[in-house]
Order: sequence, then structure tokens, then C-alpha cells
Amino acid sequence: MAFIEIQGAKKQYGEGEAAVYALDGVNFSLEKGNLCVILGPSGSGKSTLLNMIGGLDSPDSGEIVVDGEKITGRSKKELTGYRKRSIGFVFQFYNLIPDLTVEENVQVVAEIAQNPLDTDEILRALDIEKYRYRFPRELSGGQQQRVAIARAMVKNPKLLLCDELTGALDTKSSRSVLRFVEKMNREYGTTTVIITHNEAIAELADTVVRIRDGVVASVRQNETRRTADEIEL
Amino acid sequence: MKLNRRYKRNIRNNLPFYASATVLTMLTLLLFYLFYVAGTGINEFGDSFFARNRCEDATFSAYTEIPEEAVAELETKYVLTMEKEHCAAIDEGKYHARVFASNRKVDLYELQEGHDLSSDGEILISAGYAEEHGLGEGDTIVLKGREYTIAGTFLRPDYLYMVENVSDDYKNVSDFFLAYMTAAEFERQFGTGTINYKVIYGEETDEAAFRREVNEKYYMSGYLNADNNKRITFVHEQADMFIMSSWIELVVFPLLTVALVCILLGRRIRSEQKLIGTLSAMGYDRGRLMRHYSLFAVIPGALGGLLTAVLSLLLAEPFGKIGLADYEPMKPDFRLPLWVAVAGIVIPTAIYYISSMLRVRALLQADTVELLAGAVGNDGKSRRILAKRKLLIRRKMAVRQLIGNPGRSIVIFAGIFLGAMLVAFAFSFLDSVDAVGEKAHEEFGSFKYEYILGTLKEGTPEGAEAVLAMQFEDLESRRFTAMGMDKDAELWNLTTTDGKRADIANGFYISTLFEAIFGVHEGDTFTFRSIATLEEHTVTVRGVIKNGYESYLIASREIIAELCGLPENCYNAVLSEQALPDIEAEATEMITDSTYRTQMENMKQSMAGVIDALMVIGVIVCVAALYATINTLISENAYTISMLKVLGMEDGRINSMMISSNHLLLIPGIAAGIAAAYGVMYWYCVEFVEVENIMIPATLKPVSILLTAALTVFAYAISLILVRGRVNRVNMWMR
Repeated sequence: MAFIEIQGAKKQYGEGEAAVYALDGVNFSLEKGNLCVILGPSGSGKSTLLNMIGGLDSPDSGEIVVDGEKITGRSKKELTGYRKRSIGFVFQFYNLIPDLTVEENVQVVAEIAQNPLDTDEILRALDIEKYRYRFPRELSGGQQQRVAIARAMVKNPKLLLCDELTGALDTKSSRSVLRFVEKMNREYGTTTVIITHNEAIAELADTVVRIRDGVVASVRQNETRRTADEIEL
Repeated sequence: MKLNRRYKRNIRNNLPFYASATVLTMLTLLLFYLFYVAGTGINEFGDSFFARNRCEDATFSAYTEIPEEAVAELETKYVLTMEKEHCAAIDEGKYHARVFASNRKVDLYELQEGHDLSSDGEILISAGYAEEHGLGEGDTIVLKGREYTIAGTFLRPDYLYMVENVSDDYKNVSDFFLAYMTAAEFERQFGTGTINYKVIYGEETDEAAFRREVNEKYYMSGYLNADNNKRITFVHEQADMFIMSSWIELVVFPLLTVALVCILLGRRIRSEQKLIGTLSAMGYDRGRLMRHYSLFAVIPGALGGLLTAVLSLLLAEPFGKIGLADYEPMKPDFRLPLWVAVAGIVIPTAIYYISSMLRVRALLQADTVELLAGAVGNDGKSRRILAKRKLLIRRKMAVRQLIGNPGRSIVIFAGIFLGAMLVAFAFSFLDSVDAVGEKAHEEFGSFKYEYILGTLKEGTPEGAEAVLAMQFEDLESRRFTAMGMDKDAELWNLTTTDGKRADIANGFYISTLFEAIFGVHEGDTFTFRSIATLEEHTVTVRGVIKNGYESYLIASREIIAELCGLPENCYNAVLSEQALPDIEAEATEMITDSTYRTQMENMKQSMAGVIDALMVIGVIVCVAALYATINTLISENAYTISMLKVLGMEDGRINSMMISSNHLLLIPGIAAGIAAAYGVMYWYCVEFVEVENIMIPATLKPVSILLTAALTVFAYAISLILVRGRVNRVNMWMR
């Protein structure tokens, strides 16, 4: 069985004439350790799909299974436990906790994780050790996104979900951040899903999924993955 | 302006905050209105009732009866109104009564229910006793072997505060009442009875000359000015105390609440700084933004004030009646004056409005870019607390919640403090009243019975101690008792405050209550005069005896007798350790070691409504303040809470991280509230010693401290239960 199995996932917002189908029957699967890029224009449903996989939202119908664990039809409490055990999130605008230092932002997750990585190791790996006592607003966007990756990775998640992680960054910072995501995927073997509308990032992936109007338009396997330093951003 | 559409939506979205801020404003204003309405109602009723029923200026008794024609001559000569009053005391065992033949000129009675006397078999009784015992028109009562039908109930101006004896500390309507019979029936039952003289002075009356002449011709045996008659003065004194308390409460409680709500409003405005920055960037000028945000602040002030005013108009009557607990059942017109109601609405509203304007103005002075980034006010050093310490993050967050947000912590502290203070004050009142009952007799001495005789006797009663108790007044006509004791007396407490036995054979000593009321201390000289002859005496105070329950000057029997020009072995009161039936039969008053306890129990019962109301208000204030604050805390931290949820933290753990630090404020808040309540009680006891004529020992028992803490913790827990769902309701959102 694949690491992620999604079958017939549907999600509707609003009712009657105002109804919008964010997902209209999504099917796809992903193998363990894979780096997957989900491409699609704004409003295509890719963020909704990411939220479903991450246990932040539930489909109206269909089934999602992650690492053999069915996450559809779960209670809020069970989904919280699922996120705590299995998922690392990285968001476009970092979403760090402003009142905590870099180190504390990472530790806050390490403290609730079952099998966390060493905080110092992860800070070193992401080259942010020297900023450990700084607060988020004292860092650049790229540095903040690296903290966000560190925070996501410190719990040693089964699945790293990145939502437009370079969307707010300049080219240089974007490349640096992607380099670290690649590194995490390679060194820790963490299955990684990146959603983006940037076609260039697709070249980093093992699997590229295109979404349009709430359905999977195509799934492509890259024969060779390119590195962050090789792609044109 | 489209922006104004936010008002409705903002109120809907922040309903808990507006509701609790409104409730806080209402409750504190309610306390102000309650005391103000009671005080002004009683004062207005008192003025009108005294004038309508010709309240006396003084009452006196004389050894020789003054003939009617002499009364008329004195009235003409001194331009005054004077009337002989006939009364008699009856003790029926279960109850005792003071029966009068009705007056025509001074201290008239006013019918409250039923009809006036129409036959000799009818009787009127005082309204307080009738109400206490459920008696009314048509019921019967036995006096001196004859059954009388109650025709109605009445009030009279010199007995609106129904103390049986002027020296008593609290009213007695449980077994004592006043009664009127027809003149014929009174004469048949009691003859002339005891005669007292009631006087209303004219503007030109020479009071001193009048008193001297009466004394020279008829030998005055007692004189009591209305200003010293607790039954009369208590009406205005207590009403004035209510009014003063209302203004103190307006300053202390509502202003504290206003401060609390202002801080919360300020924080809400700060949390909207990104929007304020955006609107400012779009071209909204400072004045428009200040007005826009200030109008949000008007809601709790205006709504709270308006609701309280409406509620007060509806409840003015029951409010006021709580203040009538100590009096005969008077019927004042309790109403909330328009200007007070308007002030109650306008003052908090204006303060909220101005405070919000200043807050927005301060925010708009910051850089717009900073506002847009939401960074104004977020650069405090407190955020760095423990940054380099290896501690669990939830502990670090708890400490920062507490220290890094002083405004919010102050509000939570104030909520706990206010609640604990109101509850502790209510308990302290009960404990202090209890302490009077428990300790009073210890300060008097070891006697069990004190008999006040109507006549002077000579010698020493067998198996008892003799006392010569005579009334004097200072040069401001404030009365006190001069007591003469045998120098080897054992039953009366003669131990001075420095632990020595008072040497009463060689000089004068005073009680601590006397010291507090007259401002005379050890070593001072004190000038006073006879209430009969007005002859002045100056003495030196040799020491002070601890007794906060009776104001007296004490020396040996010989010294006091000499002051009064009486034989040296005279006495008119008796102290004993056991009951003396023979002496009791001729006594006009008997005080036992349980008298104070009974009076204080009555006081507690009468005040139960006020005390219960105070406790309930305390708990509600505490709940409302904490609910509003913790709601604000959660709103301010919605982003962090949202992220913690996304990261997989359970609601319970988030709750504990965000809120549990406030538990630390419970202990100091409760401790400060209890200390403040004790302080207020102590101040009250000292400040009102002259009104109460007693030194109430400010007391707060350990059990009351525990109960206060328990009730405050209960209120705190309720507020936490009310906000528990708020963390659950914070949505997970990402950008």
C-alpha cells in the first residue's frame, strides 16, 4: 500500500447556488520518502487538499489514508493526535509564534512530540543556530522560513507538508529554503509534499501532481530530481 | 460612513467582552445608587416626619411636678412649646411596653395602619413591633391584666430608631413596644404615670436660662437634648452615612471597574492596530479614527449606566428598604434623582470614551509601517524574560503572560481583589458585630446583672455593689455618664490600658469610648457641666480604662456624689453576680451579660439582606471581571492558539499554557482584597464611633478568611468554566 492513498475526496464550501467545490473527487497516491510537488493555479483546491492530508480539515466524502492510518471520519481530538504524531507544517508566511524565540519556537513542538529530534542538531542543520535567542520579527523572511522548517522537522514527522513555502521570499532566500527542504527529505527520509504554483519547483520532485478545478489533472514521475541549486526560480 | 457598519458586527463578535464590561459597570453603579437612594430617601422622610409631627428639641424630667399653669408661663416667657408627657412602663414577661397618653403639642404619633383610638378597650402599638410579630388591626394584646384590641399601628418622631433605653446599642422590636391608650384608660390604669417634659425651642429661646429656672424651681432630674437622643439623631446620622458611603463607593468601586474596563478597551484597540494602520494609510484622519474607536467604548458605559438607571427606577423601593433595616417601618419615597441617574450614565461613558480616544491617539502617533506590522507595543523587554534559560516552554510562556502583559495581569488581579474585598467586607461586618456580643461584657467587668434604679438610695445593697451613675454633658451638650464606684469594687472593670488598677478614690478615669468620642486623653483636663444646674466642673484625667462600649467618666462614689451635691453614700444602680428579684422589681432597666449579644444578633438579622447582597455582588464582580479579561487574553492570543492547534497541541494543554499563569494572581489578589476589606472595616469602626456610640472591634475570623478565599476561588473557577470553550472555538488558520 502507498504511503498516502486518497480516493474520491470531495469538499464543498457553501450551499445551493453559492456552493463552491474545492475538491471534486481527488484520487492519487504517494510512496514513502517521496518528495511530491502539487501544482495548480490559485483556487484549484491544492491548499484544501493539503489541509485534508494534514488533518486540519476533513473531506465531505472520500477516503484519505496516511501510512496505513485512515484519517477521514476522525474526531477533532483524534486529528489533533494525528497532527502531533505525524505531521510537520511549513506555511507561506511562516506562522511562527511571535512571543517565542527561535529556539523556543522549535522547542514548543519538541516538547509535545513523541520522538523528537535534538533541537540543537536541527538548528545546526538549518543553519539558524546563531539566531536561537532572536525573536521572529528580528529575522529575514528566509531565516524565518528556515525556523518554520526546523519547527516542522524537530518532531521527526512522517510527513512534511509545505504550503507555498517560497511564496513570500526572494529568489535567493527561496533557493536556500528549498535546499534545506531537499536536505531534510534526503537525510531524514521524510515524505514531503510541497504545494506551489511555481512550475520551476516541480523539478525538485519525485512526483508532480497537477490539480485543476478540484480534480487531479495529471500525475507525473520525474525520472531524475534536480537540486535547488540547479533550477531556475 | 461604511466603517460604522463594523459597530454591529464588532459587538456581535465580541459579545462576551461587551456583556461582562456592561455587567461590571452595572453592578458597581448599582451599589452607588442603592446607598444614595436609601440615604436621601431616609433623610427626606426624616425631615418631613419630624416637622409634621413636631419632634422635640429636648426632653427632661423633674423631681417636682410642674403645674400646667407654670408650663404655660414658661412657654410664654421663653418663647417655646412645652408639654407634659405621661407614660408608664409595663413588664408582661414575654414583652414589655412603654404606654403613653397621647400628646397634643410635641412628639405626635402618626397612624400607619388601622384607625385612631375610639374606645377605652382599644390600643395603638408601635409599627415595628406589630410588623415583627404579625400583629394588626383587630388583634388583641394583654397589658396589666386587661385585654386590649389593637386599633392600629403608629410611628412617632422620637422613636423612629426603637432603642428601649438611650444607652442601648441596637433597636429592640422583638419584645419591646410603645402603646397609646385613651387618656381615661391611661389614668384608670396608671394614674398620672411617669411625667416627662417635651420641649420645642423657639428661635429666640435662651435655653440655658430656661434650664436654670426649671432646675431652681422644680429640680431637674434628667435632661436629654435631641442632638444627643440616639432615637432621633440616628435617622439622619445613618442616612448621612449611607450617602457618604455611596460617594465613597462611587469613587472606589466604579472607578476601579472603569479603570479595569478602560485597560481592556485599550488592549482591544491595540489588537486592532493593523486595521488602524491600514485605515490611516488609506487616508482616514486621526480625528475620524479616534471617534470611530471611541464609540465602541461608549457601549458598555452607556448601556451599563442606562440599564442600571432603569433597574434602579424600578427597584428604588426594594433598594431603599434594605437601608431601613434599623428603623421603625418608615415609608420614605425612594427615588433616584434624575441628575444622579444621568451622572451614573455619563461619568463612566465619558471616561471610557476619553480613555479610548487617548489610546487611539497614542497608537496613531506610532509609525504607520509599525502599525501595519502590528508591532506597536510588542517590543517590551519582558518578552525576553527567561529567553536564555532552559525551561519548559509552557512555563516560559506562563511567566511571560504574567509579567509581559502587566495591564492584563493588573485587570485580573483587580477582579480577584474586588471580589475578595466585597466578600471579606461582608464577613468582617458579621465578625465585628459578633465580637461586640462576645467581648462587650468582658470589658464591662464580671457582673452578670446591672439594675438601673429609678430613685436614689443610700448605703450599700446586700450581696451586690452600688453605683452612682449621673448624666453630665460637655460644653457642646454631648452627654455622658459619670460613674461613682466603691474604691474596692470588683465587679466593674477598673483595669487601665497600661494594666494597673484605677485609683478611683483619688481622681477621674475615662473609658476608651469616651476618649474616642470626646478626644480627651490621659493627663488632659476636661470641662463638663451638670445637665440640671449647668454648673461647670473641670477635672484631670488620670488614666483610661479599656471599654469601647460605654462612654463614661469614672471616680469613687464620694467624688461623683460631691459633684452632684448628694450624700456621699448615694447610689442609683446595682451590680451583682446573681439575679436580685427584690431590686429587679424596683429597677427601671436591667442589663444582663447577654444584652449586647442579643442586640448584636438583632443587628445581624436586620443587616442580613445587605450582607448577602454584598457577597453576591462580590462574586459577580469577580466572575465578570475575570471573564472579560480572560476573554481578552484569548482574543489577543488567537493567532498563537491557532498555531499551537495546527502543531498538534491539545486544547487542554493550550488552555493550561495560556491561562494557568493567572492562577498565581489568586493568592495575592485574595490576600490584598482581605487586607483592604479589613482596612475599610477598621476605618468605618473608627470614623463612625460617634454615630454608632460604640467602638466596634474590626474583626475578621480565620474561618471568614477561609470562606472569602473559597468564594473567590469559586468565582474564579466559574469564570474559567465560562471561558473554557473559547480556546476550543479558536479556528485553525494559516497564511
